[in-house]
Amino acid sequence: MNLKDMNKLDKQFEEMMKGIRIDSPSSDFTLKVMSRVQAEAAVQKHHLLEDYKPVISKRTWIILIAAFVILMIYITVSGKETTVAPNSGFWSTISGSLDQLKVKEASSVWQKGMGLFSSVPTIAYLILTASLALWTLDSYFTHRHHASKIQVN
Amino acid sequence: MNKTDDLYYIEAVRKGNVQAFSYLVEKYQKLVYTLALKLLKKPEEAEEMAQDTFIKAYQKLDSYEGKSKFSTWLYSITYNACISELRKRRIEFKSLDDRQISDQDEQKMHDYYRETRKEDQEKYLNLALEKLPEDDQVLVTLYYYENQSMDEISMISGLTVSNVKIKIHRARKKMYEFLHEMLKEEVYSLL
Repeated sequence: MNLKDMNKLDKQFEEMMKGIRIDSPSSDFTLKVMSRVQAEAAVQKHHLLEDYKPVISKRTWIILIAAFVILMIYITVSGKETTVAPNSGFWSTISGSLDQLKVKEASSVWQKGMGLFSSVPTIAYLILTASLALWTLDSYFTHRHHASKIQVN
Repeated sequence: MNKTDDLYYIEAVRKGNVQAFSYLVEKYQKLVYTLALKLLKKPEEAEEMAQDTFIKAYQKLDSYEGKSKFSTWLYSITYNACISELRKRRIEFKSLDDRQISDQDEQKMHDYYRETRKEDQEKYLNLALEKLPEDDQVLVTLYYYENQSMDEISMISGLTVSNVKIKIHRARKKMYEFLHEMLKEEVYSLL
């Protein structure tokens, strides 16, 4: 038998096989599968939420705060060494202010405080503001994450 | 990509629209169930297996790369799950014996079959199919009914293409042989 006849037989058999019975599952099959799929989707979402990590880790926060404190100390200490003004240093200003609190007017303390802030460079304020902004955003998203976690549960 | 494409719904599911998966369930449930039933035999087990197949498909949907048809990918999940289940039970498929009808007899058998009534044709065809080993039933259904190519069936079953070809060819001959036996019995019963 040649290839043509073989193909003919195959074609005939294919036509015949269109008459085979295709079984059907129960009528609520889709419903059953979809309820399991929905449950699976909820579990997957839950895992995703559990994997959530804050944008800024605790370690990064410690480093940021430490860097800011070191910067502040450096500025005040270097300011004390280079400036002759009595209110230029941070610690001396605080101690000085405490001493003066007893003898001088409150307005004098205010002036000392203002002197302290004026000795801190603008970049330090920018770092502080940026850090606070990041902290606020991080807290906001963490709060939202917990809220959605409750909804899933 | 239009709304009749499987990929449209697959993408929708991947984007979080879980409900879009119901389209794929509706479209393929009959054949997934049929394949499972041919291998496992019991309707309740086949239904459970068909459900598990769709759940697995949902879980692994991200790993579907679209290199093959979605149906091929889905049937391979069904086939492999059924085979592992049968292996657990240590059930082995019976093999076809070597005694086979000739190609000429096959042609005669086909002509004779076409002369029988439509209802009888369907009845005998399904009976003949059920007489084949379970894995051959799946191969024949996929090739002749579902129009899956030899390559696709090879992907589904894990058999080589040449092995698939041989098995399908032998299964076809065997089905004609079963039909011949059944129709011969019917003729005798009428006499």
